[in-house]
Amino acid sequence: MLLPESMSRVVIVGSKTQMDEAIDAVYSIGSVHLVDHIGGSDEGFDIGAPLEHSSKASERLLKVRAAGKELGVNVAKMAYNPEPKPAKKVRAKIKGSEVEALEKKVFGIIDERNAVQQRAAALAADLDVLRRLSSFDVPLEHYSGYRSLTVFVGTVREDPTKALGAVGITDVLFDMPKKAARGTVLAFVPNEGAEAASATLAKHGYTEMAYPELTGTPAEAVPGLSDDLAKAEARIEELNLELAKLSEEYATTIAAFDEELSIMVEKGETPLRIAVSDYSFVMDGWIPTAEVDAVSAALDARFDGTVHMEVQEERGRKLEESEKAEKRFRDPPTKADNGALGKHFEYPTSLVSTPKYQEIDPSTIIGIFLPFFFGLMVGDLGYAIPFIILGAYGLKVAKSQEFQAIASVLFFGGIWAAIFGFFFFAEMLGMHFVGAATETSTTWEALLGVTLPEWFTGMFPSLDGGGHVGISKLHDAVFMLKLSVYIGIVHLAVSYFLGFVNILRQHGFAHAMHEKGGWLFSLFGISFLCYGLSLALFGPEIVLTDMAIRTIAIGAVLIAIGVAVCWKVEKSHAIMGLLSVMGNILSYTRLAAIGMSKAGMALAFNYMSILMLGPNGIVGAVAGFAVFVVGHMMIWVLAIISAGLHGLRLQYVEMMAKFFAGDGVKYDPLAIKRVHTEVLETEV
Amino acid sequence: MAAEIGTGMVAIAAGLAIGLTGLASGLAERDVGAAAVGAITEDATLFGKTMVLMVLPETIVIFGLVVAILMIFVM
Repeated sequence: MLLPESMSRVVIVGSKTQMDEAIDAVYSIGSVHLVDHIGGSDEGFDIGAPLEHSSKASERLLKVRAAGKELGVNVAKMAYNPEPKPAKKVRAKIKGSEVEALEKKVFGIIDERNAVQQRAAALAADLDVLRRLSSFDVPLEHYSGYRSLTVFVGTVREDPTKALGAVGITDVLFDMPKKAARGTVLAFVPNEGAEAASATLAKHGYTEMAYPELTGTPAEAVPGLSDDLAKAEARIEELNLELAKLSEEYATTIAAFDEELSIMVEKGETPLRIAVSDYSFVMDGWIPTAEVDAVSAALDARFDGTVHMEVQEERGRKLEESEKAEKRFRDPPTKADNGALGKHFEYPTSLVSTPKYQEIDPSTIIGIFLPFFFGLMVGDLGYAIPFIILGAYGLKVAKSQEFQAIASVLFFGGIWAAIFGFFFFAEMLGMHFVGAATETSTTWEALLGVTLPEWFTGMFPSLDGGGHVGISKLHDAVFMLKLSVYIGIVHLAVSYFLGFVNILRQHGFAHAMHEKGGWLFSLFGISFLCYGLSLALFGPEIVLTDMAIRTIAIGAVLIAIGVAVCWKVEKSHAIMGLLSVMGNILSYTRLAAIGMSKAGMALAFNYMSILMLGPNGIVGAVAGFAVFVVGHMMIWVLAIISAGLHGLRLQYVEMMAKFFAGDGVKYDPLAIKRVHTEVLETEV
Repeated sequence: MAAEIGTGMVAIAAGLAIGLTGLASGLAERDVGAAAVGAITEDATLFGKTMVLMVLPETIVIFGLVVAILMIFVM
C-alpha cells in the first residue's frame, strides 16, 4: 500500500487506417500513460503526422479564443459548469461553421466600434479646435485660399501681438481665456513677412493647429459637430451593449467550443508521439498492472481484435531491472496508491517531489505523524474544537488540493489536539480543568466555583502527586522535553526503517544494511549514550550510578556496531554523521517548546483578563472579556502557523531526508477532462 | 545571598543561551529566506525544497532552547 501502483509496459498496435479511432479509444479508456516515440529508434517506423482534422481544429480554436478575448470570456477561469453541453451537438455546431459565424458576428461589431471610435476621436479634436477659435469672428472659409497671404492658426504660450507688431505684422487675433495654459493665435501675414512671423511665433512656443474645413464662423459650426459627436458616442455605447449581450449569450458556447476544439487538437497531435510505419502504428505506454485486463477487454470490444494490445513486462521494484531497460522505458510513471488517510496528504509530498516508482510514498506516514505532532503541540481542548470544525468544513467545501491538504491537517490535527488536550493536559483555553487557583493562574474549577466529581478528576494523569491534575506544559517542562525526544527517536527509527526497506527492495539486504541499517544502530546507540550521560551529569554533582554506566556502555557498543556497518558506504561520514543524528533527535524538542510558548501566552492572557481586569466592576469585566477573546484568537491563529509549519518541517527534514529520493515521473494518462461539454450515453 | 546570586546568574545564562541562538538563527534564515523567495518566484515547484533549506537554521535556536530549559530546571 505504501508503494506506488505496479505498472506494466504495453504496446498497442494496429493498421494505420485505424489509428484515428484507436487514439480516440485510448483517450476514452483514460489509463494509458504514453511513452513518446523517439524518431529512429525502430527501423521502418517514424513519428506520425498530425491527424487530418487537427490543423482545421487549431485554426478554429484560435478564432474561438480571439472572439472570447474580445468578449471578455475567460474559459480558464470557468472551472465549474452546472450545465455542460452535449459534446455531439457541440461537434455538429463546429462542423456547421458556427465558429466562423460567431467570429464574424463578434468582429463585425468590433470593427464597427473601432471605426466609430476613430470618428468620435476626430470629432472631439475638431470640436476642441473650433471652441478655441470661436472667440474670433472669422468664418472658417476665410482661413485659406489666398495667393499673397500666409495664415497662421495655432496655439502659443504667451501673447505674441506686440512682438509681431515689431516686425510689421498687425493682422493678428489673439485670445487667451483665464486659467488656460495656452492662448490661440490667428495671424494673416503677407507672404514676404511669413518667415519673420514664423520665427517670432516660434519664440512664443507656437504649435500649428489643424482646423476642420467647414463654412461659417467657428461658433456656428460647434453645435453641428457636438451633435455628431454625441451621436457617435451613443453608437459606441450601443455597440458595447451589444457586445455585452453577446458575451452573456455566448459565454457557455465559447467555453464548449474551446473545450471540444482543444480535445480535437490534443487528439489530433497524438500521432506526433507514437511510431507509425507505412501501414501500421505502434503505441508504447504504461498501464497500472491492475487495469491491464480491463484495457485489453475494452480494446477488443471496440475493434474486435484488429487493434491488438500486448504486455511487454511488469516492472519490478529492483533498480537493476530499470537500469537494464531501454532509456525511454527506464522510469515507469508513479501512480500514488495511498489509502483513505494517505490520499489527503499527497500534496505535502508533491511539494517536495514525486516519489520514484521504486520507493515508498511518504504520504501515509506524513498522514499519521503530521496531525499527531500538530495535536501534541496545540494540546488544548479549547483550540482543538474550532480546528476540527474548520477542518471538517474545509474538507467538505475546498476544491483545490492545497486547501484540501490544509483542511485535513486541521481536522485530523484538531482531533489529536482534543485527545491530548482533554486526556493528557486536561486543559482548555490555557486553564486546567481541576485544581485550585494560585496567585497568577486559575482553573475551570476555581473560575466556575464548582468541584468536579472524583471520577472525572481521576481520569487525568498527574506528575507531582496532585499539584497539577493533567500534565502542565510549563511546570512539567523537563518531562515534556523527554517525551518529545522519545517521540523523536521513534519517528527517526521509523524513517530509517523505511529507508532500509526501500534499499532492500531496490538493491538487496547487504546494501540496505550498509546504507540504512547501520544508521539505525547508531540512532539507538546515541539515544542510550545520551540517556546514560543525562543520568550521570544532570544533577548538582556528577554521580556515576551502575545504571548510568550500563546505559553508556550499551550506547557505545551500539554506536560502534553502527559505524562499522556503515563504514563501507559512508566512510568518515559514519562518525561525523553521528552529530547530525543527535541534532535530529534534539530537533524534536520543538514539540514541547511550541506547546510551552502557547501555554505561556495563554497564561499571560488569562492572568490579564480574569485575574487583573475581571474583578474591577462591569468595565473591568468587559475589558477583560475583550482581552480574553482577542488574546486566545491570536494564539489560535499562531497555532496554525507554528504548529503546522514545525510539524511539517519534522516530516520534511528529519523524516523524508532519511528515505525519500523523489524525482519520479508523474503518471499522466491520455484522458479527457470535460467541464463545459459532456458525452451522453446515447453517443457511445 | 550567594545562592540568590547563583539563581540570578542561571537565569541570565538561560536568557543569553536562547537570545543569542535566536539571533543566530534569524541571521541565517534571513539569507536563506531571501534566496528561497527568489527561487520560488522563478519556479513555484521548488517550494518544498526551499522550505527544507529555510528551516535548517532553526536547529541552532532549538539547541539554545534545550540548554536554557536544562539550566532552569536542572541546575
